[in-house]
Amino acid sequence: MRRVYLDHNASTPVHPDVLAAMLPYFSERFGNASSIHGFGREARDGIDAARETIAGLLRVTPEEIVFTSGGTESDNLAVKGVAGARPGGHVVTTQVEHHAVLRTCQALEQAGHAVTYLPVDGEGLVDPDDVRRALRPDTVLISIQTANSETGTMMPIDEIGRIAVERGIPLHVDAVQTFGKLPVSLHEPGIALMSMSSHKIYGPKGIGALYIRKGTRMVSVQHGGDHERRRRAGTENVPAIVGFGKAVELRARHMVEEAGRVSALRDRLWEGVRRAVPDVRLNGHPTRRLPGTLNMSFRGLEAESLILGLDLKGIGVSAGSACTSGSLEPSYVITAMGVPTDWALGAVRSSLGAGTSVEDIDYVLDVLPAAVQRIRALSPAGAA
Amino acid sequence: MYSETLLDHFRTPRNVGMMRSPDAVGESEDPSCGDLARFYLRIEGDRVREARFQTYGCGPSIAASSIATELVRDRPVDHLGELTPEAVEAALGGLPEDRRHAATMVVDALRGALRHYRTGGPRETSHA
Repeated sequence: MRRVYLDHNASTPVHPDVLAAMLPYFSERFGNASSIHGFGREARDGIDAARETIAGLLRVTPEEIVFTSGGTESDNLAVKGVAGARPGGHVVTTQVEHHAVLRTCQALEQAGHAVTYLPVDGEGLVDPDDVRRALRPDTVLISIQTANSETGTMMPIDEIGRIAVERGIPLHVDAVQTFGKLPVSLHEPGIALMSMSSHKIYGPKGIGALYIRKGTRMVSVQHGGDHERRRRAGTENVPAIVGFGKAVELRARHMVEEAGRVSALRDRLWEGVRRAVPDVRLNGHPTRRLPGTLNMSFRGLEAESLILGLDLKGIGVSAGSACTSGSLEPSYVITAMGVPTDWALGAVRSSLGAGTSVEDIDYVLDVLPAAVQRIRALSPAGAA
Repeated sequence: MYSETLLDHFRTPRNVGMMRSPDAVGESEDPSCGDLARFYLRIEGDRVREARFQTYGCGPSIAASSIATELVRDRPVDHLGELTPEAVEAALGGLPEDRRHAATMVVDALRGALRHYRTGGPRETSHA
């Protein structure tokens, strides 16, 4: 049976060149990068090179890049780190952030901070004017994603960045879904902090980074040794950092061409589904969207049953909703966009990537309409 | 995550669809979950001769509905009152803890059908 992986927003396979770059750092160059002897220096060189690659892509200085264990830790460090330097300060974010930001903000509220969770419109966009209006004299941080992982909708970060600069408030962007997929430049002063992840761009899991613009006032979240210029204690995961650097190097070379190719496949999938399946809608912005992301709602079925049906045909897609503990919560992202519940329960995300081919998409188009039809036919509403 | 039996019943559900002039109909809805199961029964003498279902829900809910139609067929009507969620779950080869509601909903719907049969009244929707 053909196997088609359409869940690249969840994770991606490690590129063979990335794995090859990592391997020597497990056994030959295994030293602790903090050690001053040759073994340690070899490891340090690997970290330095990766840091320079990432800084180079972002056009920032290497000292502004801090390695973390991944996107979640980067978000935690950014939000808690900046807010922690100003106890009780106000934070502005949106209702559709990743849980790594949302739940961190909720923890801040427990610790006495005020947080504003801005709404989004029907296509998942936050209104920059809402950001401006939400700012208060005691606002210490704005934290907004560059793109939503479920819908792919890309936020108006440029405009929000200008507001942040005008008001002198640091802007943190969760760029886990865009970094290495779309070009970004941080030489403009709008963005103070940016979260990045390796395993979304064909690097290993367990490694990420946070860009911290020089001069950004923040406290440490994790305490220990002097690693990462005392901004993130803990012995560096050298093989993963080296792999992350290699992944970024490869993406820098290919991402523009790849974004065009993947967008075309995504649109082929949507057009094909729209032609073949009744009662389907696109969730997210029609054009301001991540190249590979397609979130569709099928009315009259529950996403889990379609995901399982496609899985039995070798196709891997996902849903933001999950029927757990007898309580099916439609995705909070789709709900925040005002999508009615009967549609929201049938929201399924396909995220395409480097390994996705035209044949893969055509196979999905062969299988999906019948899978939808079959599940709808089981339901009292579908058969009525 | 799911047993082969569950996947088999999801892939090729048994006894799907509505029934003309059923002797009993029972429905159960899990309001927190949105899942809905409806059973139609043909009863001859004191035995269930045919059971059919229609279900909106996750994979386990569909599979539980399918296997339940087999569990009750040719059994005494009274058996419907004794069928437990645990028995449905066991027949499915187990359910993950967060999918146990599927078995509960199916059993509630079948008990609703039993009440409908005994009272002959309008069919009811119970809430799991």
